[in-house]
Amino acid sequence: MSKKRIIVSAIIFAVLIAGLLVGIFLTNNPNQVQEESIQEVMKDAVLHEHVKVSLFGLKDVNPALISAFITTGIILLFSIIVRIFVIPRFKLIPGKFQIILESAVGLFDGTSKTNSPHKYKLLRVYMFVAGTYIAVSTIFELLGVQVMATNGRPITLSAPLADINGAIMLGVTTYLFILFNGLFVSGPRGFFGTLKDFSLPISMSLRLFGALLSGALVTELVYYYKLTSFVIPVFVAIAFTLMHAIIQAYVLTMLLSIFYGEATEEHEKKEKKEKKSKKIKNNNQESLSSEV
Amino acid sequence: MNGLPLNIDIQQILLHLLNFTILFAGLYFILYKPVRKFMDSREEYFKKLDDEAKGLVEESEKAKAEFENRLKAADSEINAKKEAAGKETFAERERIITAANEEAATILKKARDKAQSEHDRIINDAQKEIAQIVNEATEKIVLRSDLDTYDEFLNASKKVEDDE
Repeated sequence: MSKKRIIVSAIIFAVLIAGLLVGIFLTNNPNQVQEESIQEVMKDAVLHEHVKVSLFGLKDVNPALISAFITTGIILLFSIIVRIFVIPRFKLIPGKFQIILESAVGLFDGTSKTNSPHKYKLLRVYMFVAGTYIAVSTIFELLGVQVMATNGRPITLSAPLADINGAIMLGVTTYLFILFNGLFVSGPRGFFGTLKDFSLPISMSLRLFGALLSGALVTELVYYYKLTSFVIPVFVAIAFTLMHAIIQAYVLTMLLSIFYGEATEEHEKKEKKEKKSKKIKNNNQESLSSEV
Repeated sequence: MNGLPLNIDIQQILLHLLNFTILFAGLYFILYKPVRKFMDSREEYFKKLDDEAKGLVEESEKAKAEFENRLKAADSEINAKKEAAGKETFAERERIITAANEEAATILKKARDKAQSEHDRIINDAQKEIAQIVNEATEKIVLRSDLDTYDEFLNASKKVEDDE
């Protein structure tokens, strides 16, 4: 890009911003009173007691559930498009998009193999799906999709996991996944070993909820006051959303792989112990027979 | 509102779970499995290529080792043949020298025998000649002075007795 073109672009951008600012200040009504106090906004962002969305007219649900359905729809639509148009054209020497897809699919291979060396295939699938869901659903917040609430006001959809129900679902499901795989792989020992960590689903759920909610609350707070609602929200929203998307996806998948590895590791230890005890028994028998 | 704190709603949790289950199944079958299948098949393909390359390298190393062994065998065979040829040459030389020596000895012996026989023949001839000369001389003397000789003998013997 030439220097002249850069200067022209910068001038256009500056004029645009200046025009918008002038427009915002000119249209400001000083007599207008905020309909909700900041306390109410915060409380509603946490509890979703008043702002509900109708789910096909069947039930009034939290907006986060709609976010979850839309996120799933987006991911599945993307997957279908990729499945139809991209995957059949995969090459042995991959292109850029193929590299991205393969990297995403193989992202958790190393971690799953390291933490659970003998039983990792299902784990890596779960890690991939959970990681994708957390990352995409958190970034979804940035789209600012608006729906009509049951109170007749439009609301912007938040991240699904910023809702306690969504966070509990993922935390508990992850815990149950570890628990039952521990049972299937290691038997009762693995099951009870995981059951012992009963605080795990609570901690995982609340970690997700707290982390994502904190981002949403800070963004709400920044948007609430006029002085902070210029420029700052761009950085705050993007920084919080992207950071949480990456960090929470990483944290949950790491915790999952570590606890999963522990739950299924018992089996190996047990086998080794059994082998050792068998060897000791055989040695004892041999020594006894030789003495006799 | 239900009785649970923080607006926790079991029905909504189950709806979230339904959503997640659909996502899990869809993402697995539509995206994850085909990509993984392709990655595995490619890995298998390159592993096969790698195995083939390793096999070829192994084969070439075997062929190289075999070739080197053959080379060593050929070298040792050449050395053995050289040694055998050297030994044969030496033996031939020895045989030729021995034969030459024997021949020389035979020739020498023959020459000596011939010289001896010649010598003997010359001696015999000389003896015969001497004897013949002696006979002839004796005959001549005897025929010329039979009595004189006798008298001379008697006189000589008488003189010897007188001297004594």
